[in-house]
Amino acid sequence: MSLSTLITGARVVDPASGSQFEGDVLIEDGVIAAIGPALSTSGAEIVEAEGAMLAPALIDLRARANEPGSAGTEMLDHTLRAAAAAGVGTLVLSPASGSGIARPEDVEVVTSRALTAPVRLLAAGLTHTASGDMAEAGLMLRAGAAYIGEGSGQIADMRFLRNLLSYVSAFDAWVSLRPEEPSLADGTIAHESSMSVRLGLPVRPALSERLGVERLAALGELTGARILLDRLTTSDGIEALKAARKRGLEMAASVPLTHLLFNEVDMGALDPAFRLDPPLRAEADRAALLAALANGLVDVIVSDHMPVAAELKANPFSDAPAGSANLEALIPALCTLDADGQLPLFAGLKALTSGPAELLGLEQGRMEEGAPADLILFDPSAPVIYGKDGLYSPSPSAFSGRRLQGRVLKTWVEGAMVYAHHAE
Amino acid sequence: MGETSYRFPHRGLTTASALNRVDLQMIADRAREHLSRNRETDKKHPSLKGLTVINLFFEASTRTLASFEIAAKRLGADVVNFSAGNASLKKGESLADTAETLAAMRPDILVVRHQSPCAAGFFQNTTGVATVNAGDGAHEHPTQALLDLFTLEEHFGDLGGRRIAIVGDILHSRVARSNVALLSLMNAEVRLCGPASLLPADADRWGASVFHDLDTGLEDCDAVMVLRLQRERMSAGFIPSSREYAALYGVNHDRLDAAKPECIVLHPGPMNRGVEITSALADDPDRSVILDQVEAGVAVRMAVLELIAGRGPQEVVL
Repeated sequence: MSLSTLITGARVVDPASGSQFEGDVLIEDGVIAAIGPALSTSGAEIVEAEGAMLAPALIDLRARANEPGSAGTEMLDHTLRAAAAAGVGTLVLSPASGSGIARPEDVEVVTSRALTAPVRLLAAGLTHTASGDMAEAGLMLRAGAAYIGEGSGQIADMRFLRNLLSYVSAFDAWVSLRPEEPSLADGTIAHESSMSVRLGLPVRPALSERLGVERLAALGELTGARILLDRLTTSDGIEALKAARKRGLEMAASVPLTHLLFNEVDMGALDPAFRLDPPLRAEADRAALLAALANGLVDVIVSDHMPVAAELKANPFSDAPAGSANLEALIPALCTLDADGQLPLFAGLKALTSGPAELLGLEQGRMEEGAPADLILFDPSAPVIYGKDGLYSPSPSAFSGRRLQGRVLKTWVEGAMVYAHHAE
Repeated sequence: MGETSYRFPHRGLTTASALNRVDLQMIADRAREHLSRNRETDKKHPSLKGLTVINLFFEASTRTLASFEIAAKRLGADVVNFSAGNASLKKGESLADTAETLAAMRPDILVVRHQSPCAAGFFQNTTGVATVNAGDGAHEHPTQALLDLFTLEEHFGDLGGRRIAIVGDILHSRVARSNVALLSLMNAEVRLCGPASLLPADADRWGASVFHDLDTGLEDCDAVMVLRLQRERMSAGFIPSSREYAALYGVNHDRLDAAKPECIVLHPGPMNRGVEITSALADDPDRSVILDQVEAGVAVRMAVLELIAGRGPQEVVL
């Protein structure tokens, strides 16, 4: 077996620098050994890119899995294979994965699963235990947790939140918190708008997110904690982030993939596939998220992959659990947004490569000599009907049946090819 | 002649920051005499003969109460103890009434421990009776700081330039507050180290440097003062668990590698062995001066009681 691979004739893109050129990339010993025009080497396996795009593999900071602990219909193996097929080289399991990643032992379970995973697998640790005590953040981070974050449901107790942020600030780790005012958000399932009110749904105002951002900004200022605003979805939230940034606060923010493509009108037919949390917002909110990505205010896009069992989704909108399987939609979604002139591909890729890499201090996510050879080759213009050719994730997706463009052809992690698309 | 003399000016001790370097010297000199006498078979030195000391402990305590009681008794005072379990302290009267009632019995010294910050000062102001603060909430515990200082000076001599780390729950610690005042006065370099949620937000303005990483905090330290971790800090959501605390902030031989090779360890007690300090370290005669602290406690309290009562060597030539 060859230790080196030469990818020739690719459109090499580096989202971090925004550069793009025709060229070759040589992989040796798991790292990018050389980037340039007309590279040659003896003994390397040659992969002809035939003009496809070659980019750093994606880094997804938030995907829910059904493990550790109780497994649902989508096993972690499914999720991992879906990640490889999606071009995700680094997958961070969200803290609420499985029965919850609340102890260092849970992080170790994920870390040991990572040994046999096709992609890099990391875990994020929960902020609190099932009994409501502060979780062992220090030990979880020491065990390799990527960050500390809330599960489902927001922390309402300001004193606890202050102590938590103070405590974790000492470890220089990110605390991912969903900006929400619990008293406004609890029990709601739709964005507050004239449309959702007419549908008779319990609604959540955008104000809830704005208040959430503002209070987290204030707590961040007090405690010096590094707060990652988890899944901003409203223009109000973006404005509040802008104000906090203006005051010089070190706050990062992520946006969920679904909210870049869909708005509340997609939800209007009350298809449970579009039951998401946070709920789909107005078109103006979607536009604000895209603008915030394009101008760099928002650092990260997350798949917010959430495997919900199909039989649970087979219920009325209000009764179906929130969530959608989104991993394999990442590249098609970015390519479609680019083709429609809504979000430049570079901005989208950046928020899934160098953006999250910088946040977590990871080496991968860059097209640089010496960087880990986590790469994807994709065809940005291949038309796809999402799910038509089958998916690795068996869980229902909001993207199902959607006409998109963009297909992952190959994925490498640490120089090893972990996925190759086979044309039918 | 050019010689000036200084008279010990205090008729009570409610805060460590009231003391100057000469006061500290006078207390230490006198305590040293008591310390050696306390090792004799005849420990009596009846300088407080005829005086009445009331130990008023609103908060449970065994070691501090015993230390004050022994100190007063060795000095020949008549000692009365009221403690938390005592019904007379729970009759629902105001603290001012309690103070005035006791004062009417003509005690000479009140030793007060109370859960409220500044309660000892309240007693002194209400009654005018010389009051020693034996711990008031998270405010101060001046005699603990004095005995810590005494123990350190017995070991090192002058503390100027010595690096001393106080490790643990600084936020709720009266011991830390009193110690920072005295150690800074003696020109020691004070470091405060603990979880960020257990350090006051403005601790860096106390004249001490603040650390959240134990290995960094202990670097080149001459002494480490380990504080007791109260169990209720976990349930109140300040820190996750005693397991994590022990792993990150528990002091043991390995962690002390960062400190100077001759670094000593203090603890005000009572200890949670295996949490903030390992048994092996607490019991290591080369490192631990914890029992020296307890012994010094009686001698230092004898000196304080004498001096505030005006029955000690009250004057010193500068």
